[in-house]
Amino acid sequence: MSSEQPVFATVDRGTATVAVALVGRVDARWRLLGSTAAPAGVPQEALLERLRRRLAATDASLAADLGLGSVGAAAGIPGVACSTSPAPELAVVAATERVVRPLVAAASMAGWRVRPLVLDGAEILAVATALADPRVGAVLAGASDPPGADEHPLIADLGALVAATTERRPDLVAVLAGGLAEPGGRTEGLFRPDRPGPTVLAPSPAAGGGEPLRALLDGLRGGAHDGRRALATATGTLADVLQRRIEVVEIGQTGAARTAAAWTAGAAAVPRVAIVPEAALLPLSFSDAHLDAVMGWLTIPLDRLRVRDRLRELALAPWGDATGDGALLRLAAARAALARLAAATPDFDGQPGPDLVVAAGGAWNGAPGSAVALALADVLRRPGVRAAGLDHARLLAPLGTIEDAEERHAVIADLRDDLLVPLGSVLMPAGLRPGRSAGRLEIRGQGGPAELDLVPGGLELVDLPPGGRAVVELQLRDPVRLGLRTRHVAMEVAGGLGGLLVDLRDVPLQLPERLERRRELLASWQAALWPDLET
Amino acid sequence: MTETRTTTEAPAATPAWLDEVPVRRLLEDGLETRFPLPPGDRPLVEPGAAVLPGDPLLEHIRGRRIHDVEVHAGDAGRPMPGSRWAPAPGRRRRDRELEGELLAPVPGKNDRWRLVTGDHRVVLPSPVAGLVTEVRPGAEICVRPHGRALRAAFAAGSAARGRLELATDPFGELRPGGIDVGRAGSILVVGSRIDAEALTRARAMGVRGIVVATLPGKELRDFQASERRQRAALHAIPPFGVLVLEGAIRRPIPGPVTALLERFAGQEVALLVDPPALVFEGEDPASVEIDRAWVRIRSGPNAGAEGRLLGPAGLRRFAAGVQLEAAFVELEGEPPLAVPLGDLERYA
Repeated sequence: MSSEQPVFATVDRGTATVAVALVGRVDARWRLLGSTAAPAGVPQEALLERLRRRLAATDASLAADLGLGSVGAAAGIPGVACSTSPAPELAVVAATERVVRPLVAAASMAGWRVRPLVLDGAEILAVATALADPRVGAVLAGASDPPGADEHPLIADLGALVAATTERRPDLVAVLAGGLAEPGGRTEGLFRPDRPGPTVLAPSPAAGGGEPLRALLDGLRGGAHDGRRALATATGTLADVLQRRIEVVEIGQTGAARTAAAWTAGAAAVPRVAIVPEAALLPLSFSDAHLDAVMGWLTIPLDRLRVRDRLRELALAPWGDATGDGALLRLAAARAALARLAAATPDFDGQPGPDLVVAAGGAWNGAPGSAVALALADVLRRPGVRAAGLDHARLLAPLGTIEDAEERHAVIADLRDDLLVPLGSVLMPAGLRPGRSAGRLEIRGQGGPAELDLVPGGLELVDLPPGGRAVVELQLRDPVRLGLRTRHVAMEVAGGLGGLLVDLRDVPLQLPERLERRRELLASWQAALWPDLET
Repeated sequence: MTETRTTTEAPAATPAWLDEVPVRRLLEDGLETRFPLPPGDRPLVEPGAAVLPGDPLLEHIRGRRIHDVEVHAGDAGRPMPGSRWAPAPGRRRRDRELEGELLAPVPGKNDRWRLVTGDHRVVLPSPVAGLVTEVRPGAEICVRPHGRALRAAFAAGSAARGRLELATDPFGELRPGGIDVGRAGSILVVGSRIDAEALTRARAMGVRGIVVATLPGKELRDFQASERRQRAALHAIPPFGVLVLEGAIRRPIPGPVTALLERFAGQEVALLVDPPALVFEGEDPASVEIDRAWVRIRSGPNAGAEGRLLGPAGLRRFAAGVQLEAAFVELEGEPPLAVPLGDLERYA
């Protein structure tokens, strides 16, 4: 963004909602002037005009200085935009279950909806019918490298079937991985070189932990200014700006993303990303298992049939019914989606824990920030201390589309105080022994010192407002895991809408099997962090 | 409930904030409908062909199976997956009855191919008049209907054609006892909801389709299970489709849609499943004009209510402390009500 222009817009167009923000130069730096969101069908011009109208009513002189004083003035301003679209479908086919599993794992993090197909024990006709399904946008066929003894009898059939599919649908993208990807080999020779769709030779899922294959498949998905890829770029820049280790978890209507980046001195942070359609708020493959997962996080007594119907309505009109029970249902669905995202990306948990976790995406709209902080703590059970933030204006992804890295860094550095709503900090020790008291916590902040008795299994809330900081000192009877194994530690934590959450619950979280008891427990935790729930 | 207004008044200037209310199109042009054509099924139309209702569209094989056959490159060139194959006259008896679609060559065996074939074949007629835009053997046939389409939320069953009949008012529910053979051949509009028992009775009575505002998930699953059992039977059954206009939670058919359906009552319409839509081929329904300030509350506590939009209400606090952009809506006989913009919809 040129420093000569006084204002620009950001547009994050999702499949359910569109979020628009106005960013202007105030006192020689970029500041967020306002943001809003609406159902995806609403034209962005109407939303920009809403923001302009609001700015003019709040600060007429600033609006005039930025050229936004008159009706319609926001329509022509420059902007950065990204969009997300429903995930295309990828058929992943291999000879045996053993071989298809790692292929599916890599593909399901590359933004494709995956349809796994195994030849072993299946009817050829059923596999061929699935491959020819017009909803399938690409086929990934793979074999071990070299092929295992269990694959040998089926490898030739595998190649013949996929090649026959590309004869029927010449535009189909075919990806051959692992043992099938020999350049000029027998399998590649089955595919016509002059057909409109490409035949791509890809690395084995075993190479580089599957990341090279994932990246290749992500690239084949297409989509210029893809919101989730842009989010990853912005995460890297944000890590550099804040000089922190950052993780962003984004939940949208048709997909989700988990991206992480760590600052290292003297080099730009390289983000790691996983785009997982199965972790969408309501995935297209919605099944009884998905319904059970939502029921498991629900804090209101709704019967199963009713919940299924309301979720179907949510899928049809994701922007509607966002108040009262609807907000609670949406947050339960968001928790279930976040749990799927975490389960699909176990490699992220093998890295050092983040200093800051950011919630992004339309799924968090409507819920108060403190409740979002609790949802993150409920699902992302990693011992340690971390801050939590919310990409409230959905700025991160559009800013990630700024191609020039220096310019992107400068804009994000200017906006560092506006980008995220601070949700608070979470202190989550693991390995506490059950008992009456695990030790004591002393908090020294602006409100004076305070002490807490640490009771294993509980969730303690310490009021620490946004912008506030405090030093907490933990003294425990036995060593616990808190990033490192320790009994005595002192650290500084940042405040937020949820304050400081001292989370002494099990890692991973153990909840009662009985639905009623589970619901009561979840509701009691949530009530403390959702003050207006009963209004 | 507020009366829905359909008007032909001269349009007044539209306030800019009206654009912030989500719009739903009452009728669409250029819809493209798809008919599945799995490997083995034979298309009976060519791309670019015009089809009329009842024209044969494809030959569907029931109980598909694979058979290995010997295929030689003939005058037509080398055999291709997706092409039809039949034995040359004078072949051995056991191959003579075979006819089908070449699926893929058998690896390691020259001239041997896998053929998709079957004994029971059913010709599926087109439910709609239109233009065949694409034929993809083994995948689908695409047809662009002549006429305009009313989109729906979802559908079940199969595409069908019939005479549109209004069985209840927009708020009503049709019970199984209310359906008899007199409704055979019709597409019934049944109001706000229907249960699976009534759906299966309608199918048994020869009804071709049901148009309903909402269908709860349990009823949908029960109907789909029944439909699967019916389709698995050896004898072919006539097409029957269910078109759900709104969703799963009970509410009436929107006023403008009711006006449209009333206008076309008694005429032939096509019920499509992919995408879910009702196609009107008769007189141009475009002249149905809707008051631009008319809104329907789609979801939330007042779901199904209709009224007039008075103006923007700004950011408002709603139940559970949720803050959302809202607008004031006047429902009949009630004071103005602030409703989240996301719960509203206008028809255009």
